[in-house]
Amino acid sequence: MSRRLIALFVLVPQLALADESIAEQPDDDEVEIPDQSVGAAIGIAGGGRVTPGGLRLSGHYLYQLSEQDWFDGTASFTFGTGGAECFRDRMDDVVCDHGFADGRGIEVIAAVRRYFAAQGRFRPFARLGVGIGFARFGDDDVTGLAIPLHLGGGVRASVAKQVAVVAQAELVAGIGRFDRGMGTEPQLGIAVTAGAEFRLP
Amino acid sequence: MRALILLAFLVAGCGDDNVSRTLGARCDRPDDCADRCLAPSPDYPGGLCTVDCFSSGDCPDGAECIESEGGVCLYACREPSDCEFLGPGWTCKAEPLRMDQTQQVLVCRGD
Repeated sequence: MSRRLIALFVLVPQLALADESIAEQPDDDEVEIPDQSVGAAIGIAGGGRVTPGGLRLSGHYLYQLSEQDWFDGTASFTFGTGGAECFRDRMDDVVCDHGFADGRGIEVIAAVRRYFAAQGRFRPFARLGVGIGFARFGDDDVTGLAIPLHLGGGVRASVAKQVAVVAQAELVAGIGRFDRGMGTEPQLGIAVTAGAEFRLP
Repeated sequence: MRALILLAFLVAGCGDDNVSRTLGARCDRPDDCADRCLAPSPDYPGGLCTVDCFSSGDCPDGAECIESEGGVCLYACREPSDCEFLGPGWTCKAEPLRMDQTQQVLVCRGD
């Protein structure tokens, strides 16, 4: 009796899963990445010193360049916190020591996404790009123009013919030119975002 | 990837770790510091960001709470060369402790 019951409990869910896996096979239209799409994402950016970090909001425009590559034009906005963290060191140079989630930034990025082989509904990708943006640390009255490189990757998951969910992470490294006599400073940060993308007609 | 990690460590390692807005930065006015600015004078050449204190326990590591200015933290030292990082005009001097003015402690001050 008990053996039969156990076998029933083990087998029934397996059969149900098998049914689901058959039912969930995505059709080609759903998985295919559109020629053009737009998207929005939200996440966190981590910075420090004179690289802004905090809440990251970004908008994307994607355009197919080749079989594997898509242009990814991005506008990103970073909203951080933090008070005055800059000071003059003993050489009279201005040094800023902002935290992981301080400052504000706006950036426009031209990037290329390279998609790899699909795994079911999922398409992993690598992303490489260059941006130009402003970083601002209001309490210190420090503003800079930054040119960072973006290197990262992520995964795109089709959820419907017109819609996909995308998650990505990236490293940001570059240089910035800042006022208050700071001159050229390195930019170094990370960002993790997730959002949705919509096929354009 | 290794190069990026190395770059991260190098950037994080830049700067003079002894000096901060709390203690040691140059200043002209209180806004330049986290707590208090000892304005430029022969006692504090270039100005010095510091912290009000009642005892050395209120001070950052490596600093002592001395009686002058109503109780402020100054870098502890053993010899004049310990104060060279603060720039010209600084030396190592004996000052009374805030908590016990009968005791003296060596701190960096203007010479």
